[in-house]
Amino acid sequence: MRAFVLAALLPLTAFAADEQLIERGKYLARAADCVACHSIEGGAEYAGGLPLESPFGTIYGTNITPDKQYGIGEYSADDFYRAVAEGERRDGSKLYPAMPYTSYHLLKREDSDAIYAYLMSLEPIAKPSPQTDLSFPFNLRFGLSFWNMLYKNRVQLQPAEGKSEAWQRGQYLVEVLGHCGECHTPRNALGALQQDQRMQGAVLLGYEAPSLLADDLAARGWNPEDLATFLKYGISAQGSMFNEMYPVFHHSTQYLPQDDHQAMATYLLGDQPPEARQVASVALDKLDESAQQGRQQYLNLCAGCHGAEGEGIPHVAVAMAGNTTLRLSDSRNLLRVIDDGIKAQQFTGFERMQPMPGFSDTLDDTQMRDLLHYLRQTWGGLDAELSPQQVSQLRSEKGH
Amino acid sequence: MAKRILSMIINSQAVGPVEVPDDLMMIDFLHEHLNLTGSRLGCGQGVCHACVAILDRPDGTSEEVRTCITGVHFFDGKRVRTIEGHAKRDVQGEVSELNPIQQKFVDKFAFQCSYCTPGYVNAATVLVEKLQRQPVKRSELEGEIEDALGKHICRCTGYVRYYSAARDVVESLGLVKEG
Repeated sequence: MRAFVLAALLPLTAFAADEQLIERGKYLARAADCVACHSIEGGAEYAGGLPLESPFGTIYGTNITPDKQYGIGEYSADDFYRAVAEGERRDGSKLYPAMPYTSYHLLKREDSDAIYAYLMSLEPIAKPSPQTDLSFPFNLRFGLSFWNMLYKNRVQLQPAEGKSEAWQRGQYLVEVLGHCGECHTPRNALGALQQDQRMQGAVLLGYEAPSLLADDLAARGWNPEDLATFLKYGISAQGSMFNEMYPVFHHSTQYLPQDDHQAMATYLLGDQPPEARQVASVALDKLDESAQQGRQQYLNLCAGCHGAEGEGIPHVAVAMAGNTTLRLSDSRNLLRVIDDGIKAQQFTGFERMQPMPGFSDTLDDTQMRDLLHYLRQTWGGLDAELSPQQVSQLRSEKGH
Repeated sequence: MAKRILSMIINSQAVGPVEVPDDLMMIDFLHEHLNLTGSRLGCGQGVCHACVAILDRPDGTSEEVRTCITGVHFFDGKRVRTIEGHAKRDVQGEVSELNPIQQKFVDKFAFQCSYCTPGYVNAATVLVEKLQRQPVKRSELEGEIEDALGKHICRCTGYVRYYSAARDVVESLGLVKEG
């Protein structure tokens, strides 16, 4: 009798273990933000198709559902780990480094296996992945072995000695799973990450992925509590996620547990975080002449939603007072947002922001410069003048 | 309160020079200073488009501008049309003839409560004038109407009759090419 009960229970236990593994894999796949590149908007999750624009051409996220023909149905857990961590496909060819194996190479094997179990539990979708469209010589996959060897641009973790548990967990989430450095670290002319400038910020398709160094974050007004809030809700006193960070929030960070947000903030700002810099609003009569001119542009075009004194309107438009984007020294992102606008945004818990119109056809370069000066000087704590050349140059480097 | 002087042309009439607060929104200027109360304040956030006026550019083209989120000083030195400017008027200033869009909206019962109607009239007028400069193929007409009216919110009629009326006006004026 006892033997019978045991025999009956065993498969159930195995099933429960599988379920746990799959559930853990789902969480890890979100933390690693796989879906962002391996899906297109409105398409089936993980069925591939997102075009990733690079200076060298277009690379497409592949189908990673368990379809045997078009997906990873024929992959074993070993094959999957090799693809994720080493950038090597089942047939031995190299993956383009749009797949962030430069970060994932430190993925724990058990985490790779959990993600694999989760992906293999999904519905297979028979959808071919589009072909990459790269210019010569970047279209030659065999060159990648050489490229990988040449640059050795893989993420290296910092020693964990003396660091808190939260810091260590945060390092794994930020550097490996979240692969934040893939955008926030500059790349050289051949697309290799410049690890000596790790997390110091980089320009991608017209927008700046700002520096994530602790001192820089603090100078832009970040403290650990607000940074954790920003990751969880996509919005905080410092502003809202936009451009490439908006899908990161949508697909990934909003789903992580609170402990993970705190761990990421702890890692980024350190166990002893620098004090967040407060910037007091500067009165109009203290502004230079261009900024004073810019105030009228602000009142004409911005104040209706952002408030005459930069206070913002809840669920409509973020505040300018305290806004972190205003503190970036070259104002690239500020200018891009004013020119391009932002689509309507949805955040955690029914929070939302109205669409922001773009003003590229409304403001000439002088008016734009005046407006930037007003915003920078009033709420950004930035006195330095932008030259007319800087403004027209930034405007010509359009986003997407 | 800081003030600035401005002047503009509204519905072919010169307005100003007049000194008004530097943060006054255009819709408040229209309502409170000029008694042009036809432009409707709906959401006050630039979403519903009930408040739009037409800005006529020097190159002869026009665009809708949301007066609830645009400061009056943006219009300094510019030419603007509001809902009050479309119909023909007699010597007493009374409306004697609606413009084709207005008339078609009435004929087709395109609106019920009418709160959004001034915005729709302005949007459809901008569309008709654009197509007068550059007619479109029939196959492109629905897309043009959607682009022109799609941002306007109506809570009564379900949009169908507004779109149908706009389509009728465009076709009756011969602004569609075959194809």
